[in-house]
Amino acid sequence: MDSQDPPTAILAFLQAEFATGEQKKVGLIDWEWLRDNFMEDVVPALFQHIYLCFISLAIAVVISVPLGILAARYRWLYPWLTAITGFFYTIPSFSMFTVLIFVIGLSVGRTPAIIALVLYSLLVLIRNVVTGLDSVPPETKDAARGMGLTDRQILFRVELPLALPVIVAGMRIAIVTVIGIAVIGAYIGAGGLGDLIFDGITRDFPTLYITGAVLATLLAIGSDLLFVRAERMLSPWARRSRGAT
Amino acid sequence: MIEFKNVSKTYAGSDRAVVNDLTFTIQNGEICVLVGPSGCGKTTSMRMVNRLIEPTQGEILIDGQKNTSMSGTQLRRKIGYAIQQIGLFPHRTIASNVATVPNLVGWDKERTASRVDELLDLVGLPPDQYRDRYPAELSGGQQQRVGVARALAADPPIMLMDEPFGAVDPITRDRLQNEFLNIQQDIKKTIVFVTHDIDEAIKMGDKIAILKEGGILAQYDTPENILANPTSDFVSSFVGTDRVLKRLSLVRVRDMDLEPANGGDNLPRISDKLTLKDALSEIIGAGAERGLVVPDGNGGNPRGTLSIDAIKALSHEAEVSSG
Repeated sequence: MDSQDPPTAILAFLQAEFATGEQKKVGLIDWEWLRDNFMEDVVPALFQHIYLCFISLAIAVVISVPLGILAARYRWLYPWLTAITGFFYTIPSFSMFTVLIFVIGLSVGRTPAIIALVLYSLLVLIRNVVTGLDSVPPETKDAARGMGLTDRQILFRVELPLALPVIVAGMRIAIVTVIGIAVIGAYIGAGGLGDLIFDGITRDFPTLYITGAVLATLLAIGSDLLFVRAERMLSPWARRSRGAT
Repeated sequence: MIEFKNVSKTYAGSDRAVVNDLTFTIQNGEICVLVGPSGCGKTTSMRMVNRLIEPTQGEILIDGQKNTSMSGTQLRRKIGYAIQQIGLFPHRTIASNVATVPNLVGWDKERTASRVDELLDLVGLPPDQYRDRYPAELSGGQQQRVGVARALAADPPIMLMDEPFGAVDPITRDRLQNEFLNIQQDIKKTIVFVTHDIDEAIKMGDKIAILKEGGILAQYDTPENILANPTSDFVSSFVGTDRVLKRLSLVRVRDMDLEPANGGDNLPRISDKLTLKDALSEIIGAGAERGLVVPDGNGGNPRGTLSIDAIKALSHEAEVSSG
């Protein structure tokens, strides 16, 4: 917006906030710029972000559900899985990206970002798959077996449908986490809303990083609501009140 | 017909049998109640019929064929299964719950739907009202009705029922028992019925198998014979010191030879539908020596009178005949 020397976000913010009359002409957000560049810069970044997060979540679900089912069946697996995925979960995102690129040698771009986001999601998802399967009442499984359902039928017709709300609750937590971490993915060239934020900071242009941050927040809130909705839709039986006569 | 032949079950890592050399035969169309204290192996014995548990020794024949002659799942689809905790599928509607086995064995939609309605009617849940509800919307008693309907769905000749009326209050249980006995008169299933409650066993059973700890068959006979003639101290203490009264509860007033009713206007009136135990209670309660027997439903002419002595004679007879 102008030629301030210290290009840090905080300073820019403060200066914009406490700017003198002449500097305030432009303000904190340059609405005109936003209007002109919205379709060209902002929307693609948003879609990249959505793509990045949801593709990562999808891959993580595909990995977690079978692993969770295995862990629920073969209990000894579970502590190992939580230890390993828990370890991934504790790695700070910058370190994770660094390791993926400089130690493992992946090229900069979307791939290492998606891998990192998948790794971050695994702990929550696997845990919820196992919790969900554990929450299926034993008598329901016994009745199912007693009526002649095969193990596979019990899994797909009884256990997974009953575990689904809990699994979706895990997806809810995972997507919110991933949306936040994906911002940092821009640092290694993954694109997305992080681009707007990093760009804004380097160019000392608050409009950019505020737009990026606000959209990331809205995206997280929106996704959260989406999954709450899904959770309810997938368990209509739990919604109906007790109407015993 | 279900035949237990020297069936034993010992779990791996334990040297004590849960079921010990069980041999007895359940005739077609009979309710056989397995009863005993906890740890007597009654549920284990029942679960070996449809191979939810495999015996370590011996075999179980169903209509002369070993129950291992087909896969466990195939077998189970042909045997109704109802348990105390019911285990309805919470995510499925009542109709879909009842339709479980018909769907597994591939009935077409129409046949399944009409069968579901028929069964809901049978267990006293109007289909229009209950078909599309979820189990959580039903009371415990209603859920148990659905559990029974679900077990009956594919019209299996054999039913396994593990305390199917256990999870409800005594009044509801009594009603469900009566309704089920009525249903059984029409459907004539061969039923293995597990309970820990001797009163329920006496009420429901055509035959009672009393098991004691360690899965040993203590006595297998009709309720009448077990009450009249317990073969061991264990059985007589298990059936209780009131076994004479319990036995009276098996006989109804209308099955008794009555004395003529000449001028018994001031006698207590007893419905001929009552059991002798209830009749005795009425007579004693009225401070009388005899009661005037009238047809069920108050109206109608007296059929005769029933005296305490006649009741006494009957129970005494039983004691004598039991030696």
